[in-house]
Amino acid sequence: MRSYRALIRATAKAALAYRFSLLLGLGAVLVQLVALLAVWRVILAESTVNGFTWPQMRAYLLVAFAAGTVVSLLGDFRMAFRILDGDVALDLVKPIDYQKARFAEAVGGLWIELILIGVVVGATLALTGGVDTPAAPALALFVTSMLLLVPLKFLIVYVSTLTCFWTQNYMGVQWARLAVVNLLSGALIPLAYLPGWLAAVAQWSPFAGLTSTPALIFLGRVDGRHALQLVAVQLGWVVVLWFGARLVWRAGLRRLTVNGG
Amino acid sequence: MPIVEARGLTKVFRRPDKGPGLAGAVRHLFARRFTDKVAVDHVDLSIEAGEAVAYVGPNGAGKSTTVKLLSGILVPTAGDVRIDGLHPQRDRTTVAHRIGVLFGQRTQLWWDLPVSESLAVLRDIYGVDHATYRKRMARFDEVLELGEILPVVGRKLSLGQRMRADLAAALVHGPQVVYLDEPTIGLDLAVKDRVREFFRSIRDEGTTVMLTSHDLADIEGFCRRLVIIDQGRIIFDGDLEAVKDKFARERILHVETAAPVPLETLRTSLPGAKVEAEDTPTRYAVRFDRFAMTAGQAVTTLAGLTELVDFRVDEPSIEDVIRRVYSGELVLG
Repeated sequence: MRSYRALIRATAKAALAYRFSLLLGLGAVLVQLVALLAVWRVILAESTVNGFTWPQMRAYLLVAFAAGTVVSLLGDFRMAFRILDGDVALDLVKPIDYQKARFAEAVGGLWIELILIGVVVGATLALTGGVDTPAAPALALFVTSMLLLVPLKFLIVYVSTLTCFWTQNYMGVQWARLAVVNLLSGALIPLAYLPGWLAAVAQWSPFAGLTSTPALIFLGRVDGRHALQLVAVQLGWVVVLWFGARLVWRAGLRRLTVNGG
Repeated sequence: MPIVEARGLTKVFRRPDKGPGLAGAVRHLFARRFTDKVAVDHVDLSIEAGEAVAYVGPNGAGKSTTVKLLSGILVPTAGDVRIDGLHPQRDRTTVAHRIGVLFGQRTQLWWDLPVSESLAVLRDIYGVDHATYRKRMARFDEVLELGEILPVVGRKLSLGQRMRADLAAALVHGPQVVYLDEPTIGLDLAVKDRVREFFRSIRDEGTTVMLTSHDLADIEGFCRRLVIIDQGRIIFDGDLEAVKDKFARERILHVETAAPVPLETLRTSLPGAKVEAEDTPTRYAVRFDRFAMTAGQAVTTLAGLTELVDFRVDEPSIEDVIRRVYSGELVLG
């Protein structure tokens, strides 16, 4: 454990080195958040659409922003670069588990992301009015869902980064992942707005757990058993992906041909 | 029992065989063709604890690939590796504690952290206790002068500073076996000297060292054993000094005389040596076999003939020998 704690600490410190690029990145996300808020405000001004009222949509977008910011800022580029460049060779001679080590690094970057979320959500609430928080049981489920989001998102990013063993390029992989995740997670629009069959696919995919599940629970749009079921799906995917990622890693290792004389 | 043992170690890389241009790339999508490149070809190697082995060969000979196979980074296509009796892939974690690896062209420091933090993370990863860590760092500091670079952030290090920090990083856990792959590449002479001194200090402590280098000055005075690899095969494995005795016997005595002397006179007085005129009329080069004649005898003979103003003896370096091996001029063993 000492080794992974050290990695968490190291990344937490290194995160500070990125504070300016983080602020720039934050700018882009903020513009998107503000634009979405403005658009939905107009759309929902007169009537509800698919059962969403304006205050609900505002809460949805804020949860989506928080979920999108968690485990998003650090790590994957460094990992991709080390695989593409062959520096991963040095990670292989360490007496630690590669996957756990990368997860520790993702956890180490959380604090700066949480601060960003706190500032942005706080400012939005101050400017546009408060949101209704759900009752205690639903709130507990929401928090559980947000906690599960951390390993879930890490694993999706991790597995897609492992494809660098085959692709020799990371940008394309990252764009493809973002496109799929934005659509199927409900980050762009709630899944209820998708065609029925696509919504059903999305709901059972690992991606719903990245935005839709915590947001719907927070809004109280899913209740009791259904909410529990969604969180169980999240947990199931975490377990499946955790072990699935190990298979991908093993296949990648076989594939590994580190360059150099 | 040897601490590093490789039997029939072979690594074949499969490279996509694409035709030129876009047409070739498209055709490759449908009809995949690959060429096999044998990077390491049935290498047998066993290294005893405490040995310092130089592993040399021309570019692309398979040096780094061998190091990666021996450290468990690459899986061999065929053959077997044992480190202290353990299997580097199957017992990856245990083996990781016993080996240290430095790739001169790669770094294991964190780009965004000061060197001291990077080393502290490695200390925790390897579970080194603080007292041992402090003692080790103090010792590294003596030779590598780490103190001045500890507070510097990884990405701001100069090449020489980075290499010193990476050496410390590779040895934080006090490994029994250290692979140094091109550890002095790109360094200036002062840093090279310091790094070489550091190699000697770890060897003297009983660490097994396998050193891969293009700069043969790295191995002279450090390694007793020389292994030469070419096209994936070991073409020589033996004592470095013996190679020098056998293949670097020639000495060249450069003399400057007070007045010109006829070449014929010099040649008849030094039978068995080759005498040639050099760029000015009073300078001569005398080539001789050091087992047939000593430099002292040559100088005494010449001094009896004429007044010597100056003289100097050149001995061929191991570099010359190995260059001749690479070029196929010399067949060892």
